Amino acid sequence: MKEIMAVVRMNKTSATKKALVEAGVAGFTAFKVEGRGKIVTNPSLILERKNELLLMAGEDQTGEAEKLITDFLVGTSICPQRLFTILAHDDEVDKIVQAIIAANKTCNNVGDGKIFILPIADAVRVRTGETGETAV
Amino acid sequence: MLMVRAIIRPEKKEEVLSELSRAGFHAATVIDVVGRGKQKGIKISGIIYDEIPKVMLMMAIRDEDKDDMIRLILKYARSSEQGAYGDGKIFISPVDQAYTISSGIPSL
Repeated sequence: MKEIMAVVRMNKTSATKKALVEAGVAGFTAFKVEGRGKIVTNPSLILERKNELLLMAGEDQTGEAEKLITDFLVGTSICPQRLFTILAHDDEVDKIVQAIIAANKTCNNVGDGKIFILPIADAVRVRTGETGETAV
Repeated sequence: MLMVRAIIRPEKKEEVLSELSRAGFHAATVIDVVGRGKQKGIKISGIIYDEIPKVMLMMAIRDEDKDDMIRLILKYARSSEQGAYGDGKIFISPVDQAYTISSGIPSL
């Protein structure tokens, strides 16, 4: 029995939900969280998106917009994310992880999120009182 | 690999996060939570408050970084030198595997 915790982009929530249903697991808990990841040390990874966002910012004399965009892309600021927790049988973990990765991968190189797999000691279904693997 | 979950005072969030970042632990997930601890909440003029707002920090780290991480959180999440009720708790659990979605690589 494993717990899969996936931190994903806010706008990928429905894509992730759909992917989970297709992977055969309909049950999950989702949280709105904030977070940051590793700092992007290679500027070429974010150069294209930076130019794109700067164009959208329009006239910027104070340099404030550029600072905000840089902080956002480099990862020094804390941004809203969605956290999914899914309880799964051991043999289903790999399938679910691959489904989440496929649904959340973008062409932005960085910032697509993380997936953690934690062992779970026991689970109980409240309705019936079943424990262990059958409760998942 | 370990998952550290630290429940701390909301007013200490910024300080703890910036100190962790300075020590090289930049990645974190932040969740606003409510809860109570061993003191069964706080009682102010006869009213018991048992849903006290706290912040939960979630961080996945390598096993060898555990002591550093705990030391930093203990140092910066305390409200005073000797600590006080309500400063929070740290939970540590094992992580079997971590994946980075952008690359699909199973690594931290």
